[in-house]
Amino acid sequence: MSESRLDLLTRFPWLKEAIKSRLWQPAAMLLTLSFFVLVILTGLLGTPAGSRNFGIIFVWIVWWAVLIIVLIPFFGRLWCAVCPIPGPGEWLQRRGIISRVPGKLRSLGWRWPRPLRNIWLQNAGFLMMAMFSTIILTRPLLTGWLLLGFLLLSVLFSILFQNRVFCRYVCPVGGFIGLYSLLSPLELRVKDVAVCREHKTKDCLVGTSCSYGCPWLVYPGTLKRNAYCGLCAECVRACPKDNIGLNLRPFGSDLLVDKERRMDEAFKAFIMLSCSLLYSVVLLGPWGWLKALANMETVSGWALYATGFLVVNLLVVPGLFWLTTVLARHLSGLHASVHRLFVDHAYGLVPLGLAGWIAFSLSFIFVNGSYVIPVLSDPFGWGWDLIGTSRVAWTPLALGFLPALQVITLLVGLVFSITTLYRIAQQHSSAFAGHALVSSGDRAWWATLPTAGFATGVTLLFLWIFLG
Amino acid sequence: MRKRLLTLLPPALVALGVLFVPLDMFAATPVTRQFTVQASQFAFDPPTLRVNRGDRVVITLEATDVVHGLYLDEYDVNVRVEPGLSKQIEFVAEKTGKFRYRCSVSCGSLHPFMIGELVVMPNDAFARAVGLTLVAALAALVYLSRFPPGEA
Amino acid sequence: MLVIVVGLPVAALGYHLHLFPDRSGVRTIDIVAAAPERGGFQPDVIRVAAGEKVRLRFSVPDVTHGIALGPGLGIDLGQIDPGQVEEIELVFAEPGRYAYYCNTWCSPNHWRMRGVIEVYDPANPSRLVSDSRPDPVTGALAEQGIDIDAPHPASVIPAAAKPSATRGEAFSTRAETPLPPEFDDASWRRGHSPAEAHTLLNRELPALSEEEAWDIIAFHWLRDLTPERREWATEQYAKNCAACHGEAGTGTGPGVDALRQQGLGRHGEEDETTAINDPQTILGGTSNIYYAKIRRGGMGTGMPDFGPVFTEDETWILVDYLWTFQFAE
Repeated sequence: MSESRLDLLTRFPWLKEAIKSRLWQPAAMLLTLSFFVLVILTGLLGTPAGSRNFGIIFVWIVWWAVLIIVLIPFFGRLWCAVCPIPGPGEWLQRRGIISRVPGKLRSLGWRWPRPLRNIWLQNAGFLMMAMFSTIILTRPLLTGWLLLGFLLLSVLFSILFQNRVFCRYVCPVGGFIGLYSLLSPLELRVKDVAVCREHKTKDCLVGTSCSYGCPWLVYPGTLKRNAYCGLCAECVRACPKDNIGLNLRPFGSDLLVDKERRMDEAFKAFIMLSCSLLYSVVLLGPWGWLKALANMETVSGWALYATGFLVVNLLVVPGLFWLTTVLARHLSGLHASVHRLFVDHAYGLVPLGLAGWIAFSLSFIFVNGSYVIPVLSDPFGWGWDLIGTSRVAWTPLALGFLPALQVITLLVGLVFSITTLYRIAQQHSSAFAGHALVSSGDRAWWATLPTAGFATGVTLLFLWIFLG
Repeated sequence: MRKRLLTLLPPALVALGVLFVPLDMFAATPVTRQFTVQASQFAFDPPTLRVNRGDRVVITLEATDVVHGLYLDEYDVNVRVEPGLSKQIEFVAEKTGKFRYRCSVSCGSLHPFMIGELVVMPNDAFARAVGLTLVAALAALVYLSRFPPGEA
Repeated sequence: MLVIVVGLPVAALGYHLHLFPDRSGVRTIDIVAAAPERGGFQPDVIRVAAGEKVRLRFSVPDVTHGIALGPGLGIDLGQIDPGQVEEIELVFAEPGRYAYYCNTWCSPNHWRMRGVIEVYDPANPSRLVSDSRPDPVTGALAEQGIDIDAPHPASVIPAAAKPSATRGEAFSTRAETPLPPEFDDASWRRGHSPAEAHTLLNRELPALSEEEAWDIIAFHWLRDLTPERREWATEQYAKNCAACHGEAGTGTGPGVDALRQQGLGRHGEEDETTAINDPQTILGGTSNIYYAKIRRGGMGTGMPDFGPVFTEDETWILVDYLWTFQFAE
């Protein structure tokens, strides 16, 4: 596997210097923080008309587009390294922003409860947000309060717990970025595991005089997947053995790491897939009654919507996939339990899920992207005209290409998913080589047939919403 | 390597066929179709208009609650409509496929998602996309069965 | 970090406060224009000294509104979409009461969306600006015991299509027998319904055909509506009236449904029509009655009072225009 890696830090020494610098992360965070503060301000004080409010436009169009179309697919968790939300809390813990302030992190040092050391909390948080998403992403005031809430919550968590417990276990966005970063072509890994095994002081975990211990509570020496590495590069700064690389690698590599698959992450995959479908139906569909329910026009209507939303997310989609796995096990004769196969194969849905999100996002980014221009001139909707563009009219862009772009995205996602599903099945079929009746390849193929059918069905559903 | 490419050749040819085969067998004689579309927060009624290629589409647009607009993707239609003052939209449906019409005047919270659909049959694009999806899925399965990754 | 967290808000607010109110020493009054159920105009009363230059800035948070000022000011800022701001600088020469109002249907409560400008005399700022003098027409109707809210069905209506003012004019000018002198008396015309005029014609000129009689009435009821006045009225009708009365006067605009849902007056009963293109409903009423209705509003019907919005002459233009739903040119 490792032969298909290209260590960017060895290849580009300037990049290594840049990354080791203590400057880039705080600089980026301060930049995003200024946008963030402006977003909160415009959200709380600016016009309630979302399409004329900097906060709404910059969070739900600009940030979202960059995140889902560029950062996650190509750079994994890079957003987490520059996200402004944990900034103030982290700087309080460190008592400094740029330089390494000597001494321990300052916090009450509580321990994060063991039952919550997973992403169930993030799954729940994301579902909660998603249920309210129709009203959040159309109301500047709600967006403002939500983001301010995140900021305060992250500060609170930094006071109670050491390091980025908020990012790792609480942030609803971090959960899915982590899962989807498994397929990004960028990874931070040790070059030689043996070197770490021999190295007793574990500088990357405890920190050095010029670096902090891993804020994400990750030990690079055994790091196999992107899921919980925030790409902050503290370990690169710490490592006295120069044993950490930033690798370019094939897309989707981490989806095949078979030792750390878990039910909480599997459910994250289902939730993300379901949500991208539901969003497409509710927000892009022509059904006004559905939008009215989601828009909380009546409490009972919204309760109905929320119930349906949760049922689809937690029962229908996982349930159908469970049945698919049962069928796959039956067809292939794989020995692993249905439970195991269910969890493992869920990772195969990650590429399709991301493709679904990209296809969904493309449609409103091209349609509504032009809103960016007037809000730059008049962020609050108070009648300003900073750069003379406040009256630029809404102009949908590139609608002719949109369907083709969506189809291509979905097809890439589908083929990627089928391949991944097959390779996950292979891992199970090679587990018992003694069986002579069917070759392991055939067994994997039969196991893939139903799951590939499931993925194809989901793709067709997307196509029907977008084009049908 | 050549064997691999050869395996992918038939699906690629089928895919090309799916993409470019003419689908004119459903051609219907063009007629004039009249619709009254009511715009209200945050939906168009009817939500979906179905016509055939070549039809003359005449839409009487009415707003029932506040000022709305109707922007029709790809058809260069953008009309503003006030409650009580209906507007007439007329065009010939030359392009096929699904085109969304969207409210083009900020009309409240869900304005960006106030969407209706004009489906101009035959919806080639959708049919081709479905065909392409099936071909892609099958090709992936065939390819994986012949050349299982990691066993080369 | 402090620079960002504290500096940005201060900078934004500073820019906002500095840029606008003090820009040219003109007093700026910020007015939020929202539908009445979301607060209406805020503020809805402003006081301005006569001769003082003020800038009114209207910002719209919810849905499109049309902002106009009256009566008789001829100021219309047009439609303002949510998130946008429009402003106007103006000087009120004389003390008095003016209104700013929405003239684009924006909500079931659209007709309540009004604000008042009290222009006071700077020499005597404490003197209350009187509302307005009692309207002579409305007063006279009350004295005559005419209930302007009651239906005034026509005793007789044209048999066929809309009577034609053009034909009526031709006939009036070449008629051998002169028309009754009342027809040239504007105040008589305003005090009498077309149906009454028809009865008069029948009595005085029995030789006239039905069609000729109605054509003559059409001409006389439309004769004050010059092209400019018609154009003005057409625009005002579209902005202020069509949402309920309908573009064609059918009384089926979307506003009627909204009012019906509020159980307002006659709209509560489905079969009661408000159609101003219906001869039976309209031809029995007089211009004076319609003038009074427009200015005072129809009690309990959701018809707003346009008295604070239009001058008396402007109201007469609208009344004259009303007859175009009955009579063709």
